[in-house]
Amino acid sequence: MEQVIFWILAIGTVASSVAVIVPPMGRNPVHGALSLVVAFFFLAGLYVMLVAHLVAVLQVLIYAGAIVVLFLFVIMLLNIQSEDLGHPRPTISKLIGVIAVGFVSIVLIGFILKDKGMAEPPVGLPSDSTFGTVKTVGNLLYTSYIVPFELTSILLLVAVIGAVIMAKRRL
Amino acid sequence: MSGIPLSWWLTLGTVLFGVGTIGVLTRRNALVVFMSIELMLNAVNLILLAFARQRGDEHGHVLAFFIIAVAAAEAAVGLAIILSVFRHKRSVNLDDVRALKH
Amino acid sequence: MLDSQIEYIPVLIMLAICSAAIGGMLTLNFLLGPKRKNAIKNAPFESGEKQIHSPKRRFSVKFYLVGIFFIVFDIEAVFLFPWATLYRQWLRDPAFAWVAFGEMFLFLGILSLGLVYVWRRGALEWD
Repeated sequence: MEQVIFWILAIGTVASSVAVIVPPMGRNPVHGALSLVVAFFFLAGLYVMLVAHLVAVLQVLIYAGAIVVLFLFVIMLLNIQSEDLGHPRPTISKLIGVIAVGFVSIVLIGFILKDKGMAEPPVGLPSDSTFGTVKTVGNLLYTSYIVPFELTSILLLVAVIGAVIMAKRRL
Repeated sequence: MSGIPLSWWLTLGTVLFGVGTIGVLTRRNALVVFMSIELMLNAVNLILLAFARQRGDEHGHVLAFFIIAVAAAEAAVGLAIILSVFRHKRSVNLDDVRALKH
Repeated sequence: MLDSQIEYIPVLIMLAICSAAIGGMLTLNFLLGPKRKNAIKNAPFESGEKQIHSPKRRFSVKFYLVGIFFIVFDIEAVFLFPWATLYRQWLRDPAFAWVAFGEMFLFLGILSLGLVYVWRRGALEWD
């Protein structure tokens, strides 16, 4: 049962993320952004399988809800017609890049599947476990990770200022 | 949920990361390149959460939380850069942005 | 299956019903609906006004600024959310409750500096 759900979600994730980059769908950036939303929803399902409830909610709330909306905003702001982009030219360097990435991934996957330690099932959790819920992760976030938490606010401040400076025409 | 071994999650994460990398390398539309970077970040998140589940340790969840926050900031600034490049060059094709290349 | 995962089963049922409804409607429409393709049928406003210009034009960059503010304050709300669920539990230990209050106050303070900045820069004005 679990494996069936895993395969459905995994195939859905890979298929929709391939659709983001492969020309028939990815040719139009709006279609690319929408298949990105689909990929994020499938990933949220996978996070639930990994008992990461808070992160699954964040995935839907921030990635699918905010970041992709920003992408769609920019696509509509720029309103690029597909003829403006020119035709994709398959050059030799792109081919080499794809072959290199494929080779490295296959070697990595080979090592992962060969390793005995990684084939073991994960540690068992009691059925009423609070693993990955808002309270337990939040407790870590606001006690052990105070400094990164405050640094995030500075990062967001810098992001706001930078984005306003670059996006606003007249200042 | 005990049925899925760690190696499956890592394989899925590797495949997703590879898809994102190929997108960055082959596509020349800056927006699609950005979407591929988001895919790569998600693959890393998936692997972090898989290790967190494997070891029953929630620190990976906090890291994933921060990655999502950083990705949002990165998207805001990166898209602003694309906007201002478009304003100067009238193009989002990355091959047209070569001021620092020569 | 953990108890916390079983709670997602209603979500799955909801998703299944939604996709079945949407898929069913689209396929039925595709199979049963009459198809007469000609220029008049394909016009955006059939038997209405003629189009003056293409709807595909560029939007103002002001929308993007609103989008950025949305995303930043969305992140802020997301950080506030676990804090708010935990705060009552922390109140049992007053010393730590003050620390938690102070760190969130600092976080919100730094982010409101950003709000003050965009306000002073006039990025919030819709001129």
